[in-house]
Amino acid sequence: MDSNILSVRNLNISFTLRGDRFLVIRDVSLDVPRGENLAIVGESGSGKSVFCKALMGLLDANGRIESGEILFDGVDLAKVNSEKQWQKIRGRQIAMVMQDPMTSLNPLIPIGKQLTEAIALHHGQRGKAARDIAVGFLNDVGIPEPERRFKQYPHEFSGGMRQRAVIAIAIACMPKLLICDEPTTAIDVTIQAQILELLQSLKKKYELTTIYITHDLGVVARIADRIAVMYAGDVIETGNSEDVFYSPSHPYTWALLLSMPQLAKKGSDISSIEGSPPNLKDPIAGDAFAPRNPQALKIDFVKRPPLFEASPTHKARTWLLDPRSPKIAPPIILSQHETHAGQLGISSLKQDPALCEAEREVGKKPILEVKNLSVCFGKGKKRFAAISGVSFSIYEGETFGVVGESGSGKTTLGRSILRIYEPSEGEIYFRGKKISGKIGKAEDMQLTRQIQMIFQDPMSSLNERAKVASIVSEGLDNIGKLTSATRQEQVLKALREVGLRTEYADRFPHEFSGGQRQRIGIARAMIMAPEFIVADEPISALDVSIRAQVLNLMSRLQKERGLSYLFISHDLSVMRYICNRIAALYHGVMVELADTETLFEKPMHAYTRSLLSAVPQPDPRLEKKKVLITYDPSEHNYETDAPSWREVEKNHFVRCNDAEERKIREMYSLQANRGNP
Amino acid sequence: MQTSMHNVKEERAAASMGARAEKMARYLVKRVLRSSITLLLIITAVFLLLRLMPVEGYFNNYEKMSPTQIRVGMANLGLDRPLPMQLKNFFAQILKGDLGVSNKYRVNYPIIKIIKSKMPLSMQIGLMSVGLALLLGAPLGILMAKSARSKSKLKLWDKFGTVVVVLVEAVPASVYYLFIQIYGTELLSRIMPLPTLFVEEKPETWILPIFSLSLGTMAWCAMWLRRYMVDESTKDYVMLARAKGVPPGAISRRHIARNAIVPLVQGIPTTVILTLMGSLYVESRYSIPGMGGLLVDVIKRQDNTVVQALVLVYSCASILGLLIGDILMALLDPRIRLSGKGGAR
Amino acid sequence: MRKRKNQQLAEDLAAAAARGYAELAEAELFSPAEYLPDETEPLSYAGYSYWRSSLRIFAKNKISMFFTALIALTLLFTFAQPFLPNQKDPIKIYNDETGIQIRNAVPSSDFIFGTNAIGQDLWSRTWSGTRTSLFIGFVVAVVEALIGVLIGVLWGYMRKLDFLFTELYNMFDNIPQTLVLILISYVLHPSLRTIIIALCLTGWLTTARYVRNQVIVIRDRDYNLASRCLGTPARRIILHNLLPYLVSIITMRMAMAIPYAISNEVFVTYIGLGLPLQIPSLGNLIVSGIDKMMDPNLRYQLIFPTAVLSVVTISFYVIGNAFADASDPKNHVV
Repeated sequence: MDSNILSVRNLNISFTLRGDRFLVIRDVSLDVPRGENLAIVGESGSGKSVFCKALMGLLDANGRIESGEILFDGVDLAKVNSEKQWQKIRGRQIAMVMQDPMTSLNPLIPIGKQLTEAIALHHGQRGKAARDIAVGFLNDVGIPEPERRFKQYPHEFSGGMRQRAVIAIAIACMPKLLICDEPTTAIDVTIQAQILELLQSLKKKYELTTIYITHDLGVVARIADRIAVMYAGDVIETGNSEDVFYSPSHPYTWALLLSMPQLAKKGSDISSIEGSPPNLKDPIAGDAFAPRNPQALKIDFVKRPPLFEASPTHKARTWLLDPRSPKIAPPIILSQHETHAGQLGISSLKQDPALCEAEREVGKKPILEVKNLSVCFGKGKKRFAAISGVSFSIYEGETFGVVGESGSGKTTLGRSILRIYEPSEGEIYFRGKKISGKIGKAEDMQLTRQIQMIFQDPMSSLNERAKVASIVSEGLDNIGKLTSATRQEQVLKALREVGLRTEYADRFPHEFSGGQRQRIGIARAMIMAPEFIVADEPISALDVSIRAQVLNLMSRLQKERGLSYLFISHDLSVMRYICNRIAALYHGVMVELADTETLFEKPMHAYTRSLLSAVPQPDPRLEKKKVLITYDPSEHNYETDAPSWREVEKNHFVRCNDAEERKIREMYSLQANRGNP
Repeated sequence: MQTSMHNVKEERAAASMGARAEKMARYLVKRVLRSSITLLLIITAVFLLLRLMPVEGYFNNYEKMSPTQIRVGMANLGLDRPLPMQLKNFFAQILKGDLGVSNKYRVNYPIIKIIKSKMPLSMQIGLMSVGLALLLGAPLGILMAKSARSKSKLKLWDKFGTVVVVLVEAVPASVYYLFIQIYGTELLSRIMPLPTLFVEEKPETWILPIFSLSLGTMAWCAMWLRRYMVDESTKDYVMLARAKGVPPGAISRRHIARNAIVPLVQGIPTTVILTLMGSLYVESRYSIPGMGGLLVDVIKRQDNTVVQALVLVYSCASILGLLIGDILMALLDPRIRLSGKGGAR
Repeated sequence: MRKRKNQQLAEDLAAAAARGYAELAEAELFSPAEYLPDETEPLSYAGYSYWRSSLRIFAKNKISMFFTALIALTLLFTFAQPFLPNQKDPIKIYNDETGIQIRNAVPSSDFIFGTNAIGQDLWSRTWSGTRTSLFIGFVVAVVEALIGVLIGVLWGYMRKLDFLFTELYNMFDNIPQTLVLILISYVLHPSLRTIIIALCLTGWLTTARYVRNQVIVIRDRDYNLASRCLGTPARRIILHNLLPYLVSIITMRMAMAIPYAISNEVFVTYIGLGLPLQIPSLGNLIVSGIDKMMDPNLRYQLIFPTAVLSVVTISFYVIGNAFADASDPKNHVV
């Protein structure tokens, strides 16, 4: 038997959009060894999803395989052309788990029935027998009370549970190859960690080969045996997980790894990849990454590099591996880092203590104070508190991080500070003045200038029907009448400041990539000359290579203008790079607040610990050692012993009760603190 | 915010499994209540509007009556009392199931009896035409959706269906009904002797009215079924079903069609009503002794009380149709919109 | 295929030649290239404009272009007709030399569409009727759009009003539009005003719902939140951020309102509640045509007005739908 379950040879796939032909998979060759976990990494538009859909004959109507072979167990799938033939392959040979669990189940059919549909097809069982098998699979994927859940509809499942159900369906087909297309992108970090663990155990139990598509290098580090890096429709590097992470060969892989904020030094710029991926409509000569690669060779612009072997398990499509090329040393990447696994497997990078100290100097005067803030939504029985009793202060020049998952109230918190939501209880002070509740008109205008926001989704945060100039100048127009000359001048200044060309002012947002659009959004906020910025997940919708650009821009603006940030995110590893202090929110309640490094070293609340262990790190050795901590709110004994907000050590606050405090002190061998109630 | 709200809702839904029946019951009560309020408003509005009418609509031989006679007649009808009083009496009367008497169409004859005699035929014709419409429209819609999704350039069924839908939707019904009557009669006459008008005992005279009436619903059904099926077929869960290895036929039946039909089912009761409305034309064109013909008749004769009664009957029917539609929808779709935000319909 | 490959090769070479590296000797190729920051950003679709793109897609649709041309010609002719030479009066009753009315004269060079039962010229009556019907259609479309957009935007944008408006909508929506039409026409005197009022009373509800649904889709997009953060007043947000996204829906609804208004005019006339006979309208013409339809020789009295009517309604219907498709950004090149 062939050791490769799947061999793709010279595959070309094109798409037609309004008469234009896009070559989205360009001459890809790839092997998937039996029983291994292959991760395909790439940014949006790299063709990773299209590639996997082609393996199952699920390309959209306007896409087609131009040439090449897809040998699966000796059968060329590229030549399969009837739905009848595909049915023999889909499910029982290759199964798939898709990205969004909210849409991938039929809303009108109970979960159980959707599962038995697959069982009838692939096990030949119906009725009671099928039901029993189905309940078994639901049990396998960790759905509690499977008998009861069997009868429920998708809308009665939470996102994570739905994804488990989808996985159950895929597994129930008893496939040889399981394709997971970004199965955890739409899911919270802690749930993501559980799902990844589940996939690993199922792989073992059912002896599956899996292809895992993702853009998240952390996830890759956790699950992959082998990695294929895709860029602009081409696999540019393949190798074992350690090959790719510790001795990457392609300049794009170098740049990608270097641009991870997790690996950057605090206070210094992250090395970022300029620009954005090429447009696949135009033919690409040579190496697609060459224009963005400052160290590109001349030949990279002329001739497409062949797949060179760096080692028997490691191949890369770069001229750098050609003996004739000059020796360009890879920049310092993971191999050079200290990769000892900390208690939680998170401290892959020690921060320079001097830097941290220097930064704390900044915080002297509070710029924003939130006191006992609660925000409620809904009426009557449906009323619920999105935030309850949250208090904290942000100091001038500080970046204050709020970490939380969906439903934590972190977005509500940000919007309350922007006075979009009215607090139900508590107050917010800006520079000592109360800004919540009723305030005067002049003061309102003043605050509008002082407090601005950066948004998550660069696609929806710009008005598509307005030109860049009028988007950027919107805030100025509200303040007062300006002559068109000053207005234009201000707009151009703001554009230059965020690193955009001034001639972009006359264009519409459609023409820009995600990173550029995010810059336009930042320019729009900066033109108001704000002092305080609420950044709500400002990089989570961006591609990995773009994130660094935006983070660098934010740090630069902070330094130049002395800005303070409220940085809202779900990703602790990014926050570690940018934040001075971090507060953790869980279901609207603040559970812990500490200096960034303290939080990473001595997480005290069980939820913070689970978050820290759940965030995947782009370091395979570390990830594979890591033990997942799950948080169960019922572990607290709060009925008998009520919790309160306590300063357990200096500047380190946590919500806990007496018993928990004792335990924490024991764990970190801290002195009992008499000063706190 | 959106996501957090969502999550909370979802958790609640997951937590309360047995609450589905209770939620459904609460939804029903709310929905019926809303319908009753609407009905109440309509009755009041109709009543008040008709007070604006010239009083001659209440008498058969108004021209020949003296002012005293008219006053006495009005008093007999209770129309001289203050408006709120009149309205109260009107409601009391309706509650008793009494719709008053006709003053012109059949003098002093109870309207309820007139309606009772006309209703069965209208219902028969209406239901038959809706049946025919669904029988023709559903397969047409499915064929259109299939050919729209096929890779071939021709898409014959889709083109044919679109032409039919555009003709039926864009050309006023009053116009194509006429042409069906003229040319349909001529065409069928070649096979068998066929009178232009409707004769209840002659089944062949039922063909054209029923066919005419069914066209609107048929086009509606085909158009929306096609649109929903094409929409549904691009959804993720269809992709997952394909990835499971479910055969295309089963995907169409179990997944696409099922989801596409739900919004249609909601509309079917309403189209039954529209068909009844359409019957205004058809019944009077073919002289069918039914409700629709009656309404046109009494409008032309300005018989106020009968117009009022008929408008009420039609409103009731329409409200009932929408009510049934929403209930059916709630039964078919487990995610019933409990928020009452029916505006998205 | 082969041609394509060759062309691609040529383009490849051209791209490489731009940097001038293709001609270099092999040894030299393995040396560092110049890094041009400007080239890192690929060229995007410069000069994309939403409206231009919508129009382009609309213009590509041959069927809708045909109907656009057809309706343009029809409109032009309808309004130019009274000013053409040798046109007859639509109201005047024509007599022959003996002083007898020229009743039911079949189409001839004299009376292009023939005459009706009392000797009026059907040609000029048809065009005059079309003008009346179009007038009704346009007025109703405009009023519906105005009221519908106003209510729809308030309904969709003001969260506090949503519950109230939705309940009201559900209530009014339960009332069949045809009944409202009949009732209003029945209660008020038959006139142009009555018919316009009756038609306006019913149509705006649907427009409002369409607008509301669209507003809800775009209301929660972050750019509206951004505008609020920038202190932009609600009025400006509605005008600058919402209305541009509603134009396609409004245009579509207006295009559809015209055929519906015209059809309903015919319907109301048919049940005897339409315009007085002295005002020629398509409804009046068709209803008097119906009286003659059983005589094949006189059927022209029905066929001419219905033909014009169908051209108008089908054109607007097709154009409205095609415009809705073309203005959907999903159909544009992203």
